Amino acid sequence: MEREDGLLVKKFDKLLIANRGEIALRILRAARELGIATVAVFSDADRSAPHVRFADEAYHIGPPAARESYLVIEKLLDIAHRSGAEAIHPGYGFLAERADFAQACVDAGIVFVGPPARAIEVMGDKLMARATVTAAGVPVVPGTSPGQTDEEMTAAAVTMGFPVLVKAAAGGGGKGMRPAHRVEDLGDAFASARREAKAAFGDDTIYIEKMITEARHIEIQLLADSHGNTLYLGERECSLQRRHQKLIEEAPSFVVDADLRRRMGEVAVAAARSVDYVSAGTIEFLVDREKNFYFLEMNTRVQVEHPVTELVTGIDIVQEQLRIARGRRLRLRQEDVRVKGWAIECRINAEDPYNNYMPSTGTITAAHLPSGPGIRVDSGVYVGNEITPYYDSMISKLICYGETRGEAVLRMRRALEEYRIMGVKTNIPFHQHMMDSHRFLSGQFDTNFVEDRFSMEDREAAHALEAAVLATLAAHEQSQRAAQIVAPGARDTSNWKWLSRWERLRK
Amino acid sequence: MKYIATVKDREYTIEIDPDRGILIDGEPQEIDFQRLGSGGVTSLLMNHRSVSAVVEERDSYWDVLIQGELYSVRVQDERAHRLERMRSTGLTVGGEAAVSSPMPGIIVAVPVAVGDQVQRGDKVVILESMKMENELRAPCDGVITHVHVAAGVKVEKDQLLVSISQGTAEAS
Repeated sequence: MEREDGLLVKKFDKLLIANRGEIALRILRAARELGIATVAVFSDADRSAPHVRFADEAYHIGPPAARESYLVIEKLLDIAHRSGAEAIHPGYGFLAERADFAQACVDAGIVFVGPPARAIEVMGDKLMARATVTAAGVPVVPGTSPGQTDEEMTAAAVTMGFPVLVKAAAGGGGKGMRPAHRVEDLGDAFASARREAKAAFGDDTIYIEKMITEARHIEIQLLADSHGNTLYLGERECSLQRRHQKLIEEAPSFVVDADLRRRMGEVAVAAARSVDYVSAGTIEFLVDREKNFYFLEMNTRVQVEHPVTELVTGIDIVQEQLRIARGRRLRLRQEDVRVKGWAIECRINAEDPYNNYMPSTGTITAAHLPSGPGIRVDSGVYVGNEITPYYDSMISKLICYGETRGEAVLRMRRALEEYRIMGVKTNIPFHQHMMDSHRFLSGQFDTNFVEDRFSMEDREAAHALEAAVLATLAAHEQSQRAAQIVAPGARDTSNWKWLSRWERLRK
Repeated sequence: MKYIATVKDREYTIEIDPDRGILIDGEPQEIDFQRLGSGGVTSLLMNHRSVSAVVEERDSYWDVLIQGELYSVRVQDERAHRLERMRSTGLTVGGEAAVSSPMPGIIVAVPVAVGDQVQRGDKVVILESMKMENELRAPCDGVITHVHVAAGVKVEKDQLLVSISQGTAEAS
């Protein structure tokens, strides 16, 4: 079936995965389970990566830089034709939210495992998305349209109530954004936001928006088939972020009860229907202290944090995406979707939590994954893997499940201790510190918590002595060996002889 | 053999003595150390307390990973430790500190200029790498003596970006 808004669904037996890392593996696994043949693509940096080895076929796609490899639409379509792949799954990042890519696939007769091109386009444009969902009755953060006079904006601010944010229409990344806590602040805020917007974007158009304080970021996972059925799979709590990058996600949320879940779910479904959405998607909301919720944006792809929803609903979201793309009807009805237990995900990034979260590059020398009850690891990292500046610093996801939130936290603590990655610094100590924090344990956090009120400085070095002993013994062992190489007569390097020497030393 | 192990600003004196065994800060300890396979995986039994770790040598220190926490340990024999201490006190007087690039990337901004007084922890370079902007900070108080790069420049790992003369500027 082909639709005018850029959707093509039909049965396919061979899938190209236009991605790398853990999400490529995740999609490969789902495809294999469904008996779909798989085609991987790899840049020069990824020849040894697991997604190449897991796939039935693999094609080289160019140099390490993504814009010369994973982002080149013509190359991907060419490989699809050469390999006979009838569908392309974009994963997340890279081309996942590019309407032109979705349309190019459809034009080439290839199924794009995702929404219609038109839905990506509308939801990708801040103002268009806002207008479209508002028309469908979805609450958005109150605000003015861009380009009003100071008098009009001041009147609007008084009506919506302070504090408000003065924002640049062309803005992004916090530039051209000024808070105003009282009506007297507005004059200065207008002037400096305009000045900054002009300098940063060459456009001094501004608007105002109500400032949601102590906000939580809570999102609703959706599944929609091409037969008009749209389901919500409950919420994910994603407030723990740093510089707009999510770090820890959980399902369900501490603050969402059954009634709020149903209300948010129904609104999310309405937002998706307003763009005739198909496939997996997510509606992000800001939730204030009074539990009012406001539409933030829609992510028109599978998300990094989808596993927490999978664990609490038992639904394989990526398999569902593939089934939907093959034209199948959802097998579930809304009343069949049940949230059971609790799941938490920690994003493991190659970065140094003790040094301002600086990215860490290097070659992975050890990667021992945690296991045991309630543990899932979605990882693309392997020994010999060079962590380069070309790609995202997220190298793995650790997901824990428990009957209760407390049980999930205890499992997460245990699993973080078991997880051993060497060769780059990781943010595992950050997650450990968070799992120990009272604010996290009591669910008392908002989107500013990590940046404003969380510090690694009070983390104790619990095993400094043991580390000192281990390093010293390793160094001593090495120097003894070196001495023996100089004096070949006394070669004594086998492990057990070393042990017996320690036995003697201990007497 | 006597070693000084330094980790997170703490020093441990660890003595490996053929007659008396292993002593930490003068106290004898019961220690069993075992390497597992050819990687850095090790098992330590210290007074029967079991510690599982990965131990790897880096350029001038040892990385030890225990329960998620990575410890960088400098191990020196007594003589080397004493020598370095003498040398390092000599260097800090009027010494120069360098801020170099921890990874390849592109310079987004250099918010300091030659002659600026900076304090330890001040932003001196913003480097874009791995799709993120990273703030490189001054390692000490001092005055900027050289700025070797400008916004938009591509840099390699370990490339010198900014030089800082340690200490405070003379009153002017």
